[in-house]
Amino acid sequence: MRFDGKILIADDEAHVRKFIGLIAKQLGSPQILEAKDGREAMEIYQRERPDLVLLDVNMPVQNGLEALKQITSADPEAIVVMLTSLANRETVDEALQSGAANYLRKDTPKDELLAAFRETIAQCFATD
Amino acid sequence: MLADDDRLNIVVITNILQTEGYVIQQATSGEKALELYDSFQPDLVLLDVIMPGIDGFATCRELHERYGESVAPVIFITAKNESEDVVEGLAAGGADYLTKPFHRKEALARIRTQLQNRELIAQQKQLVAELKKANDAKNKFLGMAAHDLRNPLASIRGLAEFLRDGTVGQLTPDQIDLVNTIHDTSQSMLSQVNELLDVATIEAGELKVHKEAQDLGELVAKSVYLNNINAARKQTQITFDPPATPINGAVDAQKIRQVMDNLLSNAVKYSPPGSKIRVALSGDRPACKISVQDQGPGIPDDERHRLFKDFGILSVRPTGGEKSTGLGLAICRKIVEAHRGAIMALNLPGGGCEFSILLPI
Repeated sequence: MRFDGKILIADDEAHVRKFIGLIAKQLGSPQILEAKDGREAMEIYQRERPDLVLLDVNMPVQNGLEALKQITSADPEAIVVMLTSLANRETVDEALQSGAANYLRKDTPKDELLAAFRETIAQCFATD
Repeated sequence: MLADDDRLNIVVITNILQTEGYVIQQATSGEKALELYDSFQPDLVLLDVIMPGIDGFATCRELHERYGESVAPVIFITAKNESEDVVEGLAAGGADYLTKPFHRKEALARIRTQLQNRELIAQQKQLVAELKKANDAKNKFLGMAAHDLRNPLASIRGLAEFLRDGTVGQLTPDQIDLVNTIHDTSQSMLSQVNELLDVATIEAGELKVHKEAQDLGELVAKSVYLNNINAARKQTQITFDPPATPINGAVDAQKIRQVMDNLLSNAVKYSPPGSKIRVALSGDRPACKISVQDQGPGIPDDERHRLFKDFGILSVRPTGGEKSTGLGLAICRKIVEAHRGAIMALNLPGGGCEFSILLPI
């Protein structure tokens, strides 16, 4: 299954952007955008309107949860997947309640991440 | 502080003590002693037992009532010395007992001892407080360090997998070999970092267990399935016969899976290649039992006590050159105990070891 949409990856660590970027390419997306903090993520989101956002929770300048809330309040249909090193219950709940489509740990094996992204896309775009 | 209704005694004792350099606060009754305690803050209280008004024992009890553990030690001074009175004095919280007429040197020696004790206890309390602070700082640091190491390691592992899969171009067999090493090493480090993080979290008292009703048979079966992938590399096989009727219980699935992974990977690690690991699930309300039987060398008797302790690495070595942090079983124990269960290990008569966990359901 190919995903034709634009993907935005926001993370302050370059190696994570590279790693998640390769996974995103496997989804088939023709364009992958990168941001290194929450504010940059917002700017790029507004300009490019990506179909899928992969958002790190802990970022400087503006953190992922804040960016998530801004994105989903401006666009309730936005598909945002949170990526994190932690996974404490409170943050997960807050993110899901603020409109995140999924919440994954960055140290999940790559095949599982790929499968999780595919599943999220299938669920969210099934209604279209 | 010295409390005695007999003015002569007070003068005599005060002289003796002042000669030694002690600062004395006199009180002519138990009530007066209680009144003056707060402002004088004595390091030791000498109480006459027989006084009009409240006696020495009652005064002592009242001091303990008001000031608890930090109260100054009390030495009773009296002419009486029947053993019941001594017992009553000690029961009232007294630290020692001096009978009149007393020997100056003996009295001074006992007073000195009590003062020394008080000082030692205060020092000990402070040391404990400092140690606790240091331990908390250590856990916090450990958590932060492990946390920072996790992402880069995960990325290294992931990028190595992409290289290996040929996603960014075909590799020669020699190149694949190096990439495999990068992958396996980073994976191993990632596991160790995760274990360190677990320990730091647990030690900081942050282990929270979220119980939800599960089919325990399914939980175990899934763990067995996933661990068999690894076991196959050593031609070792993990078998599991699910119970005839489903066994349901409220557990934290993720944490129990972690325990199962640990027990199963240990079983595989310590059994020779080509072994059979047997997993069983049995029991019903109030508790169920999950057991893992391996074909390893068993636990040496003199090392049993170290088994579930932090960093309790035994003399037994993994049979495939695998690494061990020594933290896995300690973490398992903490998770199982957080479920109010128990974990144990038994050497099997025919060789090998059986690890089992009991969980209330």
